[in-house]
Amino acid sequence: MQRAATTLACKEAKLPNGLRVIAEVNPEAKSLALGYFVKTGSRDEAPAESGISHFLEHMVFKGTLRRDALEVNLEFDRMGAQYNAFTSEENTVYYAAVLPEFGGRLLELLTDLMRPALRQEDFDTEKNVILEEIALYADRPNVMLFDYARSKFFRGHPLGNSVLGSIESITAMTREQMAAYHARRYAPANMVLAMAGKLDWPAMLEQVAQLTADWQPYAVHREYPPFEALPGDVRESYPKATQTYLALLAPGLSAQDERRYAAAVLASLIGEEGNSRLYWALTHRGLVESASAGHDDSDQAGLFYIYAQTDPQNEAQVVDILREELNRLQAHGVSAEEVRRAKNKLATGIVFAGETPLNRLFNLGMGYQYNGVYEPLSEMARKVEAVTPAEVNALLEAKPFSRGFLYRMVPPD
Amino acid sequence: MAFAQVETLANGLTLAVEEQPWNPGIALQLLVPVGATTDPQELEGAANLLEGWLWKGAGDLDARALAEAFDELGVRRGSGVGLEYTTFAASFLPEYLDSVLELYALILQKPRFDEALLEPVRQVALQELAALEDQPPRKMGAALRRAVFASTHGRYAAGSKEGLTSATPEALRADFQRRYGAKGSILAVAGGVGFAEVREAVERHLGTWGGVAPASPEPVLTQPQAIHIEQDTAQVQIGLIYQDVGPGHPEFYSARLAAEVLSGGMGSRLFTEVREKRGLVYSVSASPQGVKGFSYLLAYAGTTPERAHATLEVLRAEIERIREGVSEEELERAKIGLRTALVMQEESARSRVGSMARDLFMLGRIRPLAEIEAEIAAVDLSRINRFLADHPYKDPWVGTLGPKLAQRQTQNA
Repeated sequence: MQRAATTLACKEAKLPNGLRVIAEVNPEAKSLALGYFVKTGSRDEAPAESGISHFLEHMVFKGTLRRDALEVNLEFDRMGAQYNAFTSEENTVYYAAVLPEFGGRLLELLTDLMRPALRQEDFDTEKNVILEEIALYADRPNVMLFDYARSKFFRGHPLGNSVLGSIESITAMTREQMAAYHARRYAPANMVLAMAGKLDWPAMLEQVAQLTADWQPYAVHREYPPFEALPGDVRESYPKATQTYLALLAPGLSAQDERRYAAAVLASLIGEEGNSRLYWALTHRGLVESASAGHDDSDQAGLFYIYAQTDPQNEAQVVDILREELNRLQAHGVSAEEVRRAKNKLATGIVFAGETPLNRLFNLGMGYQYNGVYEPLSEMARKVEAVTPAEVNALLEAKPFSRGFLYRMVPPD
Repeated sequence: MAFAQVETLANGLTLAVEEQPWNPGIALQLLVPVGATTDPQELEGAANLLEGWLWKGAGDLDARALAEAFDELGVRRGSGVGLEYTTFAASFLPEYLDSVLELYALILQKPRFDEALLEPVRQVALQELAALEDQPPRKMGAALRRAVFASTHGRYAAGSKEGLTSATPEALRADFQRRYGAKGSILAVAGGVGFAEVREAVERHLGTWGGVAPASPEPVLTQPQAIHIEQDTAQVQIGLIYQDVGPGHPEFYSARLAAEVLSGGMGSRLFTEVREKRGLVYSVSASPQGVKGFSYLLAYAGTTPERAHATLEVLRAEIERIREGVSEEELERAKIGLRTALVMQEESARSRVGSMARDLFMLGRIRPLAEIEAEIAAVDLSRINRFLADHPYKDPWVGTLGPKLAQRQTQNA
């Protein structure tokens, strides 16, 4: 069977107000996706603002000067949009996918939302929703684990800030604080509008230029305090846990560092489900419910993370084996075969990551936000393919896992 | 619009292929109708143990060699056990189709079932079961289903502690011989490959697979009732199950559209009334679900104890009020929402094979997307409102999980 060549065209522009717009146009696609990628998150919050980026993400859907909350929701639904938003330590992303005929209408709606009204009444109601979300995660030890582990690992560095905030910080938060935070962070120069799929680039670009003509340009600052990882081992009980949860965090590579591809290969061969060092040492032997590893590249910083969930009586044995495996890895390095197999799997993952415009959007927007360049999935696949065992071993020479921080969450006695 | 070709092979295996010439990858799903509903009485969890044990080696390949053979081909794979069937999913590049099928054929026809490797599989399964305690929404869902069904459909898919503990290698091997059969199993493939090529490769590797998979048992219901599980959680988990019409019913799409009006987008009734106006929850939803022979609407909300009573009341009232009918505008939004979801599902081979296999299991055929679109278009306002008046959602099974306080409150509901 003939395989059709996909004709993807990349477009980019910068508006006079500083907003960067990037698109990956695919005339063959059946849908289109749009997203605003705002470079702001919990790392950009003052202590009294803890949780404000995420709370603001909710408030954005509560309406603008032209629309109330119900009208926003109805307008998305009238287009049949699949949409949502998320907040991390350093990004807030609003995204939606629609059938191509709704492209212009979706652009107008999403753009309008970036200038929310932040009405007091909505603020008070939504505060309850945020408190419910905090309660929801409090019941999930595997989620709380990473909040606690990051805070210990980063020791006051802003990347250790909680995204959700606390019951106290959210309860005390005011609408005025949020308006000030929005004014400080949602500058056009701090945002990227990304588009993917079947779309008319000149028309969309002209439309967004008109819609944002009154957005004022100004500069936004992000702090990059120095960070040095130190080894540690903390064990704490959590009232809602009946199993034992382990998180080991170790220094990794940043989103700006080309070695992040080698880091992804390393994380895969350490902890990929079904075939990896930890799989054979722990899961295959029935010692854990699950074990996994990953690499998380952030703005000017990065980390490796290892996760394991186990029966409380296995804790000591699992920790010993985990340390043993990581020490062996650092002492003897990786084999050419395991690097090749890990690369194969990652490459297939990248092919499937590009199936839909919505999936492509995240790659496009994040890449542009961090590095200001368009990196197609095919280029990412090529870079993964090019990773050598020597490059992976070079990462291990710095002995990152010897500076790893182990956080253990255990059931109460 | 794409179209799946279906053929039942001589050994009774049903093959379905959807050609997607634009797709650079292939997704595959093998559905074997072996699940908790047909686990032998004294062997609850057998399907779960078999699925884990199957990966521990086949033919000349031990567990590690088997995993490495898949990784050499860059296959992303996964498998899982549900109430009614076990699925094996894979995504990979087209040139490896033949080799991938060869590996699955080996697993299905020549599993090693090494006795020594059963114990770790059992340990993982027992830890999974224990971890349910740390996942309140799933725990509530499992308890609610147990209350709804008098038949084996009320079982927990992963098995029971007794069944998992007592299963012997001999009993499991015999169970495998009895239940893992070609006849009744389904292989769905979608992606950049042609039907003839797939058929030939499947015949070559799976043509000699024999046996007959078990028939699905008839679901038997209890009388609607309310159950409560006491647990010290931050949120109360609330679940409702209402009888609904299934895919064989002439008004199936009226019911699907009604569920969309209730819970399709963020402008839907439940999201608007429970979250947006009152701020009672972070999560609220209602979705059409079913087992073979019984379809139902599953509603869910999670909220803190002091709001549990109000949440349950509003949730029930909104669902049951829909018997009074929907508006023209609501129907229009529901239609575009369903249509968009269909088109977008078609863009992803991985989600497409999942729905192809499930359609074949539940209905014995794959509904062409064009047919579904026509069915949706044919539902007009008087038709859906007549249906809702004649088939009101009422008398649900109610499940709650949370602190004691909530029990007193919800019993008053």
